[in-house]
Amino acid sequence: MALKNKEVLFGLFDDETQLLSAVADARKTHMEIDDVYTPFPVHGLDPLLGLEESRLHIAGFFFGLIGTMTAFFGITWIFTKDWPTIFGGKPYFSFPAFVPIMFELTVLFSAIGMVVTFYTVCGLGPGVKAMTLHDRITDDKFCISFDITEADEATKSDVKAFFAKHGASLVDTKMI
Amino acid sequence: MDQFIFRQRYKNILFAFMAIGIICMAWTWFSDDALHTRFWSNFFHNTMYFTGIAFAALLLMTMGIVTYGMWFVAFKRIWEAYSMFLITGIILMLVIIGGVWFHYHHIYHWTDAQDVAKDVVLNGKSGFLNPWWYTIGTIVTLGAWAYFAVKLRSLSRQQDNNGGIDDVTEYNQMKRLSAIFLPVGGFLSSVMIWQWIMSVDAHWYSTLFAWYATASWVVACFAFTALMIIFLKGQKFMDFVTVEHMHDVGKFVFAMTIFWAYLWFAQFMLIWYGNNGEETIYFNRQMQEYPVMFWGNVIINFVLPFLVLLSNYTKRKVGPMVFICLLVFFGHWWDFFLMIKPGMLHTAHEELASMGDHGAHGAEHVSHFVEGFTIPGLLELGTMLGFFGLFVYVTFVQLGKLSLRPKNDPLLPESLHHHVQ
Repeated sequence: MALKNKEVLFGLFDDETQLLSAVADARKTHMEIDDVYTPFPVHGLDPLLGLEESRLHIAGFFFGLIGTMTAFFGITWIFTKDWPTIFGGKPYFSFPAFVPIMFELTVLFSAIGMVVTFYTVCGLGPGVKAMTLHDRITDDKFCISFDITEADEATKSDVKAFFAKHGASLVDTKMI
Repeated sequence: MDQFIFRQRYKNILFAFMAIGIICMAWTWFSDDALHTRFWSNFFHNTMYFTGIAFAALLLMTMGIVTYGMWFVAFKRIWEAYSMFLITGIILMLVIIGGVWFHYHHIYHWTDAQDVAKDVVLNGKSGFLNPWWYTIGTIVTLGAWAYFAVKLRSLSRQQDNNGGIDDVTEYNQMKRLSAIFLPVGGFLSSVMIWQWIMSVDAHWYSTLFAWYATASWVVACFAFTALMIIFLKGQKFMDFVTVEHMHDVGKFVFAMTIFWAYLWFAQFMLIWYGNNGEETIYFNRQMQEYPVMFWGNVIINFVLPFLVLLSNYTKRKVGPMVFICLLVFFGHWWDFFLMIKPGMLHTAHEELASMGDHGAHGAEHVSHFVEGFTIPGLLELGTMLGFFGLFVYVTFVQLGKLSLRPKNDPLLPESLHHHVQ
């Protein structure tokens, strides 16, 4: 979620090998990359950028657990207290019959919970204006961007030199 | 190292295992009842389990080949070696087939002509459950599987000596052969599992049963593959198999564990809900007389592996993987125990009763925890160790014959650079 506007300087690369070597070089020379945009998931990019492993699946586990509990207690209450019904001579509390429902709600809760969490964390959702640095990032170009809102001229020229060195096909700035 | 060396040290250990197995089997034979029920149930149980793992290895390998899979190519030689145990399986099954004709064992109630004549259900099923079907079915099925296993193995050997990585002659032949094997393996395994295992309880039937048993074999095969990779890497063989391949095998242990649990539960719940006496008696007997086995089966084959393997981390670490794979490997042996022992014990009691030992039939309904039947005893574990030694011996002999690296497989370079994260 971008809370305030910032100015970024970005370069587009033609293929992922250029991108990967540029990222590795930037990390080595301690340049602070703001973000990297690719048209598809690039293998080996995450460890190069030093990203932590996502914790989304841990949230997913707990959403699933909530789903299991909701189904179990819900259906137990319905079939033993609220509206006891006999099916095929089975007892009101027949656990094996509840298992499919517990399974379904586990999957449902964990799926919806993870989607909502992911959208919230990434600032996505209905009505959000898509922020795209350059249209071709969604097609065939790979992009590295640097935050230059508070950077001096020397830093800016360093970044430009860096893009030139790694063969960026286009270098531009944009307010986001 | 690319070449497996069958060291004397391994041989000594495996011979010790086999010796323990033979001693335990002899001990069982002499301490047994008049029908040698315990001996034959142990022999049959282990034969089925280990032959099934060989079949599962062949099934997984052919599936991988047909689907252009590359993740398993680095350790493909392990599955090839496992599948060669099918030949040993034929020899072991010939012993069982002999008993179907000459009645030296009483695994199947339907082999007894007098009982079949009296019993409406058995009589009705005698078109399928008869010695001819059993013999021809077993020999044709295992023979066909062994043929495919040997053929794939020899193509793999040719591939090692062919024109290099760009030569796809053998690769294409393997693909064709695998595509033919899949329906053969799939349909025949289903039919023969009804004969081999489900007909131990000849009055009972379940359509799901064949998939359930196959899923059990497949989990066991994956768990055993993981253990074998860890062992070989620990002995400095197969250094090109990485943690990424281990991760994939771990994921399959996890996925197939859930698949097994799904089938187990589906079978249980439909029968429980259908509430049809001739079906529910099967589970009723297991829950009343084999409670430890019955509930333990679910815990060690589903609950524990599910909780441990749920995390990414545990599939990439040797410790948790060894623990879970040993547990699951033992657990599915336990699962087959539960498929075979109750039915055989019941048949034996009826036979013994008709032989004049009237106490025997009544004994079934009062006795709990009979070592060797309602719970595996030391003799069962020893017998398992013996068969395990035999299986690993066959595997090691086969591993030693070819390089561990299938060096001319066109998918090998991709497999060596396999990354899952």
